[in-house]
Amino acid sequence: MELVTDKKILTKGNYAIANAAVMAGCECYFGYPITPQSEIGEFMSGKMQELKRAYVSAESELAAINMVIGACSTGKKAMTSSSSCAVALMQEGLSYAASDELPVVLVSVMRGGPGLGNIYPSQGDYFQATKGGGDGDYKLIVLAPSTVQECADLTYKAFYLAHKYKNPTVLLADGMLGQMMEPVVFKDYPYPKVDNSSWALDGANNRDGRIIRSYAPSAHNQCEFLQKLHQKYKLIEENETEWEEIGTDDADVILVSFGSTARNAKIAAKMCREKGLKVGVLRPITLFPFPSKRLSELSKQGKKFISVEVNMGQMINDVKLAVKDDVKLINKPVGIPPAPVEIVKQIEEYYASF
Amino acid sequence: MEKIFLIAGFGGQGVLLAGEVLANAFMLADKNVTWYPSYGAEMRGGTVNCSVTMSDEEIGSVQSYNSDYVIALNQASFDRFLPGVRKGGTIIVNTSLAVEAKPRDDVKYVFAPLTSLAEEKLGNVKMTNIIALGLLAKSSGLISLDELEKALETVIPPHRKNLLPLNKSALEMGYKYDLLPINC
Amino acid sequence: MQVFKIPEVFREDMKYTFCPGCDHGVAVRLVAEVLDELGLKEDTIAVASVGCSVTIYDFLNLDTIEAPHGRALAVATGVKRAKPDKFVFTYQGDGDFASIGLAESMHSALRGENLTAICINNTTYGMTGGQLGPTTLMGQVTTTSPMGRNAEYYGYPIKITEHVALCDGTAYAARVSLDTVANIKKAKEAIKSAFDVQLKGLGFGFVEILSTCPTNWRMTPEKAHERVRNEMMPVFKPGVYKDIRG
Repeated sequence: MELVTDKKILTKGNYAIANAAVMAGCECYFGYPITPQSEIGEFMSGKMQELKRAYVSAESELAAINMVIGACSTGKKAMTSSSSCAVALMQEGLSYAASDELPVVLVSVMRGGPGLGNIYPSQGDYFQATKGGGDGDYKLIVLAPSTVQECADLTYKAFYLAHKYKNPTVLLADGMLGQMMEPVVFKDYPYPKVDNSSWALDGANNRDGRIIRSYAPSAHNQCEFLQKLHQKYKLIEENETEWEEIGTDDADVILVSFGSTARNAKIAAKMCREKGLKVGVLRPITLFPFPSKRLSELSKQGKKFISVEVNMGQMINDVKLAVKDDVKLINKPVGIPPAPVEIVKQIEEYYASF
Repeated sequence: MEKIFLIAGFGGQGVLLAGEVLANAFMLADKNVTWYPSYGAEMRGGTVNCSVTMSDEEIGSVQSYNSDYVIALNQASFDRFLPGVRKGGTIIVNTSLAVEAKPRDDVKYVFAPLTSLAEEKLGNVKMTNIIALGLLAKSSGLISLDELEKALETVIPPHRKNLLPLNKSALEMGYKYDLLPINC
Repeated sequence: MQVFKIPEVFREDMKYTFCPGCDHGVAVRLVAEVLDELGLKEDTIAVASVGCSVTIYDFLNLDTIEAPHGRALAVATGVKRAKPDKFVFTYQGDGDFASIGLAESMHSALRGENLTAICINNTTYGMTGGQLGPTTLMGQVTTTSPMGRNAEYYGYPIKITEHVALCDGTAYAARVSLDTVANIKKAKEAIKSAFDVQLKGLGFGFVEILSTCPTNWRMTPEKAHERVRNEMMPVFKPGVYKDIRG
């Protein structure tokens, strides 16, 4: 596979992510194969060596995430990619990276779970990404692409936000986005360089040694640290919350849906409009920070909400917290998202229930 | 307008590649397009399929249960995907590896001995899928031979460029193949 | 007359936090002396691990990252691959290196990562109160082997250096002891050699240091060193197991 820098091509989401990562200046890739994201590691293995950047076929996901931690401690752009049951193995590292305030980038291409599950698309790791499986009070920045173009664009953004906020950042895609091909254009990396000279490890030259650590023997220090960490999360919420809205102004009902599933939610909303039902869509692009404030505003206008997801209902909890109202769930447990006609049928039933 | 194409066959028949060529051709024609494969466990020796969705508008999620056009390169694919062809849709059948039969009367059939044509006329069995694309271009009228040829140039890797003329001949052979009988 | 001074790489505000008679203190000092002698302070990124070894950054005034338990060599791999021109070493206990982190440790050696690992073997999990670890000797009583280590329930202790020496990517592997002045000198030479192979770009350098844990062994420092000599060294035999410099 050639690195694409200047033309529109048809490619898989996985390749779009890998190509964008290289263009974003990712200098180190560490990974272990798992379907449905193995193309990322395959692409990186060749490309990173050609460009004389760092690449390691790690012995496990545990090792991979910790290699990323090591590379990030030097201020370099570094990443790993994985999927569901293997991202589970990385939770320890993500908690450490959050505590160490390191710009780790993880691409998580969701498949069916729990356990080994299957290789079909899923959104069953919404909780895993946004609530975390690691210990302690931490947050990851989570970006959810909906198209192959967004897979590329949000990969750029993941590196930028990770470094801007010194916070581990997840690009949360799924098997459908990873495996499908769509046209994509690779722009130049659009974000400014982030200065890391105040914290990166580079050898204690004419200064005291810097320590990157999470061990906090004093309870008092840990209190202060957590307050500071959460001030950062608040800042991220204020500055970086991103979502897409379609037809919400006059809508009675708003479908809240992210990632690949949002594609069908949009089509379903359009089909509803053709039937005279005023349905809109709100697609969170950042899952943390979640567009709670906007949902709350819309709720105060008397609108009703339906969460459309490919899982047993995870994001719906965040929607409920935001709108402080009952929220209907339209879901499919696993697989490619529910067909638009199926979504429309359930919306019609919902309307009929009033 | 949105149209869904499904290509299916054995592993090794170039199913995914044919889909990729088709999807690239639509991209070159400035359409919105998605390509989605069957992947994973199904890769090992079984049937392979991919769907290509082409539209003038934003495309929703990929799906392979209802298609406007199906290319069935073997019997198993014909049996499995005929029920999903939309009413009035078309199924292109490789009669070298599938029985010429019309179990449904609300779809159009295009029968052609694709494997034999590839072997006997082009001397390369691997051209089966590309001949099928030629047939699809002709029977659908949705994509031109020119766009498919350009797509081939994009998809065929640099070290295989010597195969480009043969692939183009295969496209043309499919395009010029007598489409009769097409029946509903 | 030889005048001893505090190694320059030690932090000015350093406080000694190890238990009385613990060999960690000697081991850290040897590492510090070698860093001084090779002039490496400004080019070093150290990797701390979890266990008593975690406090290395309270002693050494180096750029340091603390790894999760067992992952020191994975973190070190990331550091070194990102910054190949830096000197990178880990300071770990036997539990970190050879139990929870065995995969990361062995694979770093197998890949021939250009790193140095210092591993303290004191036959127990010291920081958590003296439980049975991967190097606990047969018959040894610990808080989780109250009747002594037996094969039926616990299996056998790991001979770390022998395993590391078997890896093709290993350039230097040695086991040393700190029970006598002569052996402390040998230990320093071994650490210097393990650093040297990295500086020469030859591959993975490794030193296993047999150490006391008087607190958890419930012994005086003197008795503890006798135990190192009489019980540990016959099983974990000191020596240079591999040195590709010839």
